[in-house]
Amino acid sequence: MASPGGQGGVLSTRGGGATRRMKWALELSLGNTRGRGDRQGGQGDVVYPIGFSEKPVPDTSIQETDKNLVEKRCWDVALGPLKQIPMNLFIMYMSGNTISIFPIMMVCMMAWRPIQALMSMSATFKLLESSSQQWLQGLVYLVGNLLGSALAIYKCQSMGLLPTHSSDWLAFIEPPQRMEIMGGGMVL
Amino acid sequence: MAKLILLLLKCILLCGTVYAVFEDQVGKFDWRQQYVGKVRFCHFDAHMQSSKKVLLATESNVFAALNTRTGEVLWRHVDKTGPEGNIDAFLQNGQDAVLVVGNGRFLRSWETNIGGLNWEAVLDSGSFQSACLIGQQGTVKNVAVLKKTAISLHYLSNGHQKWIENLPDSDTVDYQTVYSGGNSEVYVLGVVPHSHIAIVAFSGDDGEILQQSSVEAPWLSSIPESCQMVDQDLLICVDSTTMSLYTLDLKLQLQLNQIPLQSLELEVDPDFRPSLVSHQPNPAKQPRSEFFLQLAPDHYVLLQFNNGQLVVLRDFKPALLVSFATTGEKTVAAVMSPKNKTASSINLFNAETGRRLLDTTLIFTMDPNGGKPEKLNVQAFLKKDDSVGYRVMVQTKDHTLTFLQQPGRVLWTREEALSDVLTMEMVDLPLTGTQAELEGEFGKKTAIQDGLMSMVFKRLSSQLILLQAWVAHLWKLFYDARKPRSQVKNDISMENLSRDEFNLQKMMVMVTASGKLFGIDSKTGGILWKHYLENIPSNAAFKLMVQRTTAHFPHPPQCTLLIKDKDTGLASLHVFNPIYGKMSHVSPPALPQPILQSLMLPFMDQDYAKVLLLIDDQYKVSAFPSTKYVLQQLQEMASSIFFFLVDSNQGRLSGYRLRTDLSTEQIWEVALPTETQKIVSVKGKKPNEHVHSQGRVMGDRSVLYKYLNPNLLAVVTESTDLHQERSFVGIILIDGVTGRIIHEAVQRKARGPVHVVHSENWVVYEYWSTKSRRNEFSVIELYEGMELYNSTAFSSLDRPLVPQVLQQSYIFPSSISTMEATLTEKGITSRHLLIGLPSGGILSLPKMFLDPRRPEMASEQSREENLIPYAPELMIRTEWFVNYNQTVSRVRGIYTAPSGLESTCLVVAYGLDIYHTRVYPSKQFDVLKDDYDYMLISSVLLALFFATMISKRLAEVKLLNRAWR
Repeated sequence: MASPGGQGGVLSTRGGGATRRMKWALELSLGNTRGRGDRQGGQGDVVYPIGFSEKPVPDTSIQETDKNLVEKRCWDVALGPLKQIPMNLFIMYMSGNTISIFPIMMVCMMAWRPIQALMSMSATFKLLESSSQQWLQGLVYLVGNLLGSALAIYKCQSMGLLPTHSSDWLAFIEPPQRMEIMGGGMVL
Repeated sequence: MAKLILLLLKCILLCGTVYAVFEDQVGKFDWRQQYVGKVRFCHFDAHMQSSKKVLLATESNVFAALNTRTGEVLWRHVDKTGPEGNIDAFLQNGQDAVLVVGNGRFLRSWETNIGGLNWEAVLDSGSFQSACLIGQQGTVKNVAVLKKTAISLHYLSNGHQKWIENLPDSDTVDYQTVYSGGNSEVYVLGVVPHSHIAIVAFSGDDGEILQQSSVEAPWLSSIPESCQMVDQDLLICVDSTTMSLYTLDLKLQLQLNQIPLQSLELEVDPDFRPSLVSHQPNPAKQPRSEFFLQLAPDHYVLLQFNNGQLVVLRDFKPALLVSFATTGEKTVAAVMSPKNKTASSINLFNAETGRRLLDTTLIFTMDPNGGKPEKLNVQAFLKKDDSVGYRVMVQTKDHTLTFLQQPGRVLWTREEALSDVLTMEMVDLPLTGTQAELEGEFGKKTAIQDGLMSMVFKRLSSQLILLQAWVAHLWKLFYDARKPRSQVKNDISMENLSRDEFNLQKMMVMVTASGKLFGIDSKTGGILWKHYLENIPSNAAFKLMVQRTTAHFPHPPQCTLLIKDKDTGLASLHVFNPIYGKMSHVSPPALPQPILQSLMLPFMDQDYAKVLLLIDDQYKVSAFPSTKYVLQQLQEMASSIFFFLVDSNQGRLSGYRLRTDLSTEQIWEVALPTETQKIVSVKGKKPNEHVHSQGRVMGDRSVLYKYLNPNLLAVVTESTDLHQERSFVGIILIDGVTGRIIHEAVQRKARGPVHVVHSENWVVYEYWSTKSRRNEFSVIELYEGMELYNSTAFSSLDRPLVPQVLQQSYIFPSSISTMEATLTEKGITSRHLLIGLPSGGILSLPKMFLDPRRPEMASEQSREENLIPYAPELMIRTEWFVNYNQTVSRVRGIYTAPSGLESTCLVVAYGLDIYHTRVYPSKQFDVLKDDYDYMLISSVLLALFFATMISKRLAEVKLLNRAWR
C-alpha cells in the first residue's frame, strides 16, 4: 500500500512492491493509471470506468440570463461615446479658450477619438452582432460619436481654429489686376 | 490696474522690437564713405617737414584734413549748408588755419593737428571782400578782414579785434583787395569801375590812415580778376583791350606804368581774357617777383620783375596748368603740359631762373572716364641732397582728387563727386557664367529641335561645368581657411561680379550733380566703374530709369538717364549698361523738342527692354525703343495709358490720355491758385512695390480692406503766406487717371519743408507746426470698408465708392532731413519708416506707431489687433538707429531696395556721406542666426541617430532571446 506504485504496466512487472503483492496484474486503462495512482492515497483502489474524464465538460446550452448580459454589454459599447460627453464638456470648460499646448492636445484628442471610432465602425458592428438590437445600438453609437466630434468642432470654433471668418481667407486674395497704366510727375 | 496692464503690454511690445547690432556685427553688413565736396581752397600743411596733411575747404562748406599717404579723412568739420556756412577765405599760418565763414560773419581759427577750434570771432555784418595775414618783422600776428565799408584787424592768437576802421568814400569806391607786404602797412585797394583805382594805406598798429590816393585806370573793372601783387609792393595788372601790362608802385603811387605786351614779344589769344598768377610764400615777407601770365587756354609765360624791368623767363606752350610752390627758401614753378591724348607731364622749374629742374618729371595719366585737370596743388619738399622733390594733387573737372608722386604713381584718388548724389538705382548683378549656361539651356526654345542626344550632351556638359565650379569653390574655401582672416580679401572686380544666393549684393548706379556716373558694389562700397558725362549744365535735371534688368540673358541690362537742361528745356538720353558702365550700342533718339516728362511702361519690346515714353512740350509722345513692334503694341494699349503733369509755377495738375496716333488729349485739370499756395511735391507709389495683404484683420476677425489704388497721387502744397498764424500745409490725394480728388486735408498753422512717404494705402507726412513750435507727423490711411468692390481688377474709371479715410497726428522730437519706407520682395514683412535726421542718424521707425487706428482707450478688440493705445509723442529710441555711431552727414536721400530675402531690405543713405546697410523690419525670420550652433545641433542629431541604431540592435537581440526562452 505504501509502495510508490502508479507505474505503468511495463514498469510494474519490474517494480519490487507489486511483486510483493501479486504475481501479475493487468490494467486495461493505461490513461487512468496516473489518476488511479493519485487517488490511491485517498480512496483506495478505485478504478474509473473506461471513457471517464476528470475534466469537466463546459455546459454549452444557452441560458436566458447570459443573453441579458450580452445585451447589457452591447449597450455599454453603444452608449460609451455618449457617456464620455459630459466628461469632455468638463474638460472643455476647464481647458479654456486660449491657444496653448494643453488645450490644443485636448481638442486634438477629443476630435481624434470619435473620428477613430467612426473609422472602425465595422469592427464595432461585428462586436454588436450578437445583440438583437444591433441596429439601434449601432445608431446610438454613431450618434454618440457624431456628437463627440461636434463637440470637438464647437471647441475648435470657440478657440477660433476654424476658418469661418473672411480674415482667414485674406492671405489667399490675389492683388487686383491693374487696368490702367499711369505715370508722370512734376515737369522736369 | 488698466494702466498697469497697458504698461506691461507696452513693455512686451517694445521688447519685441529691438534692432540693435551686436558689437561683432559692426561693419559686417554696412559701410560708410565720407566725402568733403568740391575743393575750393587747398593748403598743404607745411609747418613741419614730415607733415602728412592737406587741408581742404570746399564748396560744400566743409573744412577737412586729409592724410596725404592714404587719402583718408583725418578730421572734418561740416558747417551749415547754403550761404550761412560758405567758406569765403582760407588763410594758413603755421599750425593755425584761419577761415572766414558765412559772407564775413565769422572768423575762425582751427588747430590743424587735431582739428580743434582755437577761437571764433563774430564780425560786424557787411559784405565780405577779402582777407589777408599781416606780418611784422618776420612774424605773423594779425589777420585783416576787408568788408564793403570797413576793415578790421584781429589778433591771430585769440581773435580779438585790434582795430576797425571805416573806409573813405565806400559808397562810390568798390574796395576789393587787402594786401600787406610784411612791413605792418595794410593797403586796401578799391576800384571805381572804368575810372580809377583807390588806394588807402593803414598803419597796422593803430589803424591810422597813412596815405590815400587814387590813380586813373579807365580800363579796369575788377582788381582780383586782373591784378596781382608782386615784388616790393608792386601792383601788376593785365588788360586785354590795350594788350598791356600795367604796374603801380603802392608806395610812390604816381601813376600806372604801361608796358605793352608787344614790347615783350607776347601775344594774347583773341577772345581770351589774360590772367596773372603770383605767389607770396610767407605773409610776413614780400611776394615773389616772378609771376605767370596766361595768354591763352594752353599758353603761359613766366615773367620776372627785375630792378624795374620785366623779363620773360620762359614761355610755356602748350601748358594746361601752372602752380608755384615753396619749400624752405626755394620756390619752384610746376607746369603741366599735355603729352598725348591720355597723359600729361608735370615738370618743375626754378622760379628765379626759369630753368628746368632735372629728374622732376611726373606723368599724370588722365582717366578716359574722367574730366580734364582743373587745378594743380603742389607739395614741395627738400630731399636729403637739398634738391626739391614734390608730390602733386590734381583736381579735375569731375571733382576728382588725384594725389601723385614721381614718376607718376597714384597714391590715392578721391571721388568727391559722390558728395553730391542726385539720384540712384540698384540693379541686380548678373548670374555667373555657369548659372547663365544653365539658364540658357532651359531658356532657349530652339533646344527642343536639337534632338534628344544633343540635349543629353548639353545637360551632361552643364552638370560638369557646375561640378567644376563647385570644386573650385571648395578649393578656394580650403585655401582661404589656411590664411589668417585679415588677409582674406573679398576682392570684387568686374570679372567675378555675380549675384549671390540671396541677391543681397547689388550694383548701385549713382548719378551725381557734376555729371559723373558711378557703379558701386553694394557689398564693399568699391567703385567698379565711373563715367563722366561732359558738358552737363550745372542746373540739369536727371531721371534714371532701368529699362532692362539682368534677368534677360543674353541681352545686357540697360539703364537710361534722361538729362534735361532746365534753361533750354532740351533733353538728351544716355543709355548705358549699369553693370559695366559702358555706353550701350543702342543709339538713343535725338530729341529736338523740349521734354516735359517721361513714363516707363510695364510692357517690353521683343528684346525685353521696357518701353520709355517721352512727352514733349507739344504734348506729343515719342517712344524709346520705337520699333514697329512697340508702336503696334502702343496702338493696342493706347486707350489704357494715362499720364499726368504737374506744373508747379502755374499751379496746374493735368491728366492726359494717349491716342493711337501718339498724340494726347487732356482729360482733366486741377488748378490750384498760385497766389495762396504752391505745389511742392507729388508722390506716386513705387512701381516695384508689392502689397501682400489686401486688408487688415480686425479684432472680431472680420476684414477691413485696404484702398490700394495704384494710380493715387499725394500732392503736397505749402502756403505762400509764411506768417505763422496764416501759413498752412495742404495734402491732396488725387487719382492720376481720372483727376478725382479722393481726399483733401489742410494742416493749419503749419509750415514746410514737408517730407512725404506714400505707399500701400497710407501717406505719412511731416511738417513744422508753427502754433506749437514743434515737428509733427501725420498719417492718412485709406480703406475700402468691409467688402471689396472688385477683387480681381482695379480700374480708376470704375470706382463708385469713396474710401474711408482715417488720420492721426503725432509729435516728433526732432526735425528730419529725409524720409523713406522700407521695401521688401513680397511685402509680407512689416513696414518701417527710415528717417534721416539732421544729427546724422538714420532712424528706423516702425509704421505700427504711425497708425490712425490706434485707439485712445485700449479695448479687448484693439488688444487683439495689437494696436498700441494712442500717445501723441513718438519716441526716438537709440536702438532704432540703424547706423549706430556711423554718422551720415547731411542726408539728402534714402534709397531702399528689396533683396532676395523677404526679411531683408537694402538701404542706402546719401548726402555728403554715403552709407549702406541692411534692415530687418520684422527681424530675420527667414535666416538662421549668426551665432546658430551648428556643431551642437549636428552632434546631437548624430548622437541621436547612433543611439537609435544601437537601441534598435539591442531591441532585436532582446526579442530574439525572448523568443528562444
